[in-house]
Amino acid sequence: MFPRVSAVLRLRPFSRLPSCSGGLEALAAAAALLGASRGTRRTKNNIQRYFGTNSVIYGKKDEQSIPTQEISKETESQDGVKENMKKDLLQIIKGMKVELSTVNVQTAKPPSRRQLKSLEATVGRPQRAPGGAPKERRESLSPELVAAASAVADSLPFDKQTTKSELLRQLQQHEEDSRAQKDGERPKISFSNIISDMKVARSATARVSTRPVHQIQFDEGSDGYVGQEKTIGLRKSLRKNIFKGKRLNIFDLKAVTEGAPEAETAPSLWDVEFAKQLAAVNEQPFQNGFEQMIQWTKEGKLWEFPINNEAGFDDDGSEFYEHIFLDKYLEDFPKQGPIRHFMELVTCGLSKNPYLSVKQKIEHIEWFKNYFNEKRDILKDSNIQFN
Amino acid sequence: MAAAASVCWLRVRCRFCLPMMGWRADPCERAPSCSAALPKVEGADVTGSEEVVIPKRKTWDKVAVLQALASTVNRDTTAAPYAFQDDPYLIPTSSVESRSFLLAKKSGENAAKFIINSHPKYFQKDIAEPHIPCLMPEYFEAQIEDISEAALKERIKLRKVKASVDMFDQLLQAGTTVSLETTNSLLDLLCYYGDQEPSADYHFQQRERSEELEEATEENNEKSKKKAGPQFGVTWRAKNNAERIFALMPEKNAHSYCTMIRGMVKHRAPVQALNLYTELLNNRLPADVYTFNAVIEAKALMVNEKFEEKWNNILELLKQMVAQKVKPNLQTFNTILKCLRRFYAFGRLPALQTLREMKAVGIEPSLATYHYVIQLFYQHESSSKEAPLIIYDIMNEVMGKKFSPKDPDDDAFFQSAMRVCSSLRDLELAYQVHGLLNTGDNWKFIGPEQRRNFYYSKFFSLLCLMEQIDVTLKWYKDLIPSVFFPHSQTLIHLLQALDVASRLEVIPQIWKDSKEYGHTYRNDLKEEILMLMARDQHPPEVAFADCAADIKSTYENQDARQTAPDWPANSLNCIAVLFLRAGRTQEAWKMLGLFRKHNKIPRNELLNEFMDSAKASSSPAQAIEIVKLASAFSLPICEGLTQRVMADFAVSQEQREALGNLTALTSDSDSDSDISEGK
Repeated sequence: MFPRVSAVLRLRPFSRLPSCSGGLEALAAAAALLGASRGTRRTKNNIQRYFGTNSVIYGKKDEQSIPTQEISKETESQDGVKENMKKDLLQIIKGMKVELSTVNVQTAKPPSRRQLKSLEATVGRPQRAPGGAPKERRESLSPELVAAASAVADSLPFDKQTTKSELLRQLQQHEEDSRAQKDGERPKISFSNIISDMKVARSATARVSTRPVHQIQFDEGSDGYVGQEKTIGLRKSLRKNIFKGKRLNIFDLKAVTEGAPEAETAPSLWDVEFAKQLAAVNEQPFQNGFEQMIQWTKEGKLWEFPINNEAGFDDDGSEFYEHIFLDKYLEDFPKQGPIRHFMELVTCGLSKNPYLSVKQKIEHIEWFKNYFNEKRDILKDSNIQFN
Repeated sequence: MAAAASVCWLRVRCRFCLPMMGWRADPCERAPSCSAALPKVEGADVTGSEEVVIPKRKTWDKVAVLQALASTVNRDTTAAPYAFQDDPYLIPTSSVESRSFLLAKKSGENAAKFIINSHPKYFQKDIAEPHIPCLMPEYFEAQIEDISEAALKERIKLRKVKASVDMFDQLLQAGTTVSLETTNSLLDLLCYYGDQEPSADYHFQQRERSEELEEATEENNEKSKKKAGPQFGVTWRAKNNAERIFALMPEKNAHSYCTMIRGMVKHRAPVQALNLYTELLNNRLPADVYTFNAVIEAKALMVNEKFEEKWNNILELLKQMVAQKVKPNLQTFNTILKCLRRFYAFGRLPALQTLREMKAVGIEPSLATYHYVIQLFYQHESSSKEAPLIIYDIMNEVMGKKFSPKDPDDDAFFQSAMRVCSSLRDLELAYQVHGLLNTGDNWKFIGPEQRRNFYYSKFFSLLCLMEQIDVTLKWYKDLIPSVFFPHSQTLIHLLQALDVASRLEVIPQIWKDSKEYGHTYRNDLKEEILMLMARDQHPPEVAFADCAADIKSTYENQDARQTAPDWPANSLNCIAVLFLRAGRTQEAWKMLGLFRKHNKIPRNELLNEFMDSAKASSSPAQAIEIVKLASAFSLPICEGLTQRVMADFAVSQEQREALGNLTALTSDSDSDSDISEGK
């Protein structure tokens, strides 16, 4: 009992991991995302989707937390990219004026208390501590952008400090998004991250579907379904990475598949023994009596099915009618008379003889033909016609 | 006539297959009994009477009928596997017994074969008609006596290592030159067996290989003893006959070199093998793919080299293969992966690259390939973030495929896959693996007895842990005992699952089963059962008391078997409680006696329950007896019990005094209480 419960407990934090242990950065990102979607309808599915995205972003952040500085410097060094980005950002800032107010309204009264508590935490936390995280992130944004943001904030009639931090968060989000997309092209980095995410999501959903008790933690079953679909999709997209990636690049497909077939040689001892080993690999005890009979048949201990009177009677592949209908060999004999009569008796006897092969029977008939040929004179004397 | 009937039957079958065809007489008509049926058929089908397509005569494989019949037989879930069906007394009921059953059966066969083959002259009578060759003694003695190449060939064919070498020497002394071909086959023989006489070919059907030992250590109970295989432990000795003959050969071709290299690698002499490989290259002879496989293994076997160095060496070899236009085969890649397993984390990236190379080159991986990859990535659980994905990829890849044996390690896949499922606690994946096992003839790859047990134990434990109890019980009925015999730990897992799902009423049945499967004397199992039964109050119709009595008797039997009997206090408590609850007061009181006998201390709850029962039967004498017992062990609860007796029972004056004495004594000293207890 105890190990099982502990296993469940161990997993539970996992399932929350993306939301609550994501650190401030992830929380801020989540909040920004929430804000960005206009007219958010707080249906369950929507929330689930945010969580999914959130977790992915979190996964990205985990690795990027160290090289963040470098990457942002990189972006700065590429002037063209920077220019484009700035334009985009300014456009978005323009479009944001209205949305920002909605964000504030929404966060002021969380719409449904029945939602996941962790969601509340994500929404609520950045409000409580707007100072710490954004300040750090501000460093990665260029000073011009910061200046632009503060200018926008000044032009708005709301609390200036809050607006500015909201704006910066939004900017940060966009920078992050673009970086995430950029990173998406580099499979190696995102690879392991997504794996870890996938596993977490997976085990959690597995729990939900098998254990009704623990569904209390998750409001309804649909959550699990959406999550599962997501992981399956993720897995499928990743499958390529395992079998399709960098290979050794030593062998050539053509060289391997085409090429001249090797000269056939008699199997050496090595080949024989390897074949024996292979045969032993899937050797299993018999599952039923028939399998045992198959084995006996192969060993030659059993009559072969279908039961055949000629089993084990090897006569150079000749059929039974060749044994029985021997009249066709009598064509060289007279059509009537004592010799014919005699020969018909001979063939009749031969057709009933199981001990001679067809060849021997034909030889037997031949022998009589020769015999009568030799005795032609005597036959003539006795007035018997032979050809 | 039987032949004719069977032909008739085939015809009828054919007709069912081709209902639209006009049915006419077969020109090779030779079954008179069929002709009676024909006119009717003609009458039915003749309406069209356009073109007659005569179906081809089918020749059936000699085992086709039997195979068709065999496919209709399903596993009987209530019975032992077919292989064990024998005299009812001999049918094994535990994994140990089943193993010895198979061994005994096989050894009997081997003994008979041995006798027949070593004394062929007594077994000459051919009773079978037609003759059955496999029942006749085989001749393992060389027939050609004189010294000639033919005699040498015969000895090589009979795999007589020493005799062949002697014959070869004699031929050389006589000045006869032996042909290159014969010398090569002699070298094959010497290299394959490492210049040792091959052990008689009577190996057990289910061999154990050295690798099994590595895996067996994971499950402590499966520490099977090292059974030296026929060639296990044979090492390459310098200057052995193979090397001597190789040196004597006037002309050597590629085959001579190749077989020497393979032999050296097989018998773990990688350094010599690599030297010889260099020599081969110097002589500008081509190596075949098997030799390359062997040399790859040799490179990986080299000690005192770093993983990276080894890997570069292997890559170098592969490039040489390309240069020499040698086509790699499945064994090449499997060998690489097998070697990469020993590189731990370093081997992961190369392994993936190798796998992709395989795919790219169009060589279909075998089960062994995946087995190696799994082993490489899951050597230490949760050591890598990347690892958990691999198994999903592999399962996606292999789902629904049917495999045929291609590598000697193919039978290890299912075991390692299930091990990973178990460590990931992923039930869905486990179902996938099990589904794959039941695809086509894949079940044959489950491997020998121990592997099957390992696989199913892991699978069933996972079911216990994750699956709903009804489903688990269904699996329990399905798998046990017709597929495997559960280990005691497996049963404990099942008990825990029952506990979680509060289906404890099944416990007596489980106990009955576990007795049958040879776990009668497993204390951990018994204690678990007793603990679960005694923990909560259950309605009396659940037959826990009978079960407890049964377990008690096993403890008693155990006393007889062992010199130092051991009754765990827990079990005593539980059994006593169960008896009390079932109203079997007499037996419960006897249990109290056992506490004294084995010097175990009863729990307070137990004493309270006894007091309840005494009260229910309103017997102050019993109540006082309990107080006596408690004071005998100088338990702190004694005081409370005394007060309870005073309050709840109608106690006579004498009894009251006795009680007073007891409490006084307990509070006095321990030694006194021992005396008053008066054994």
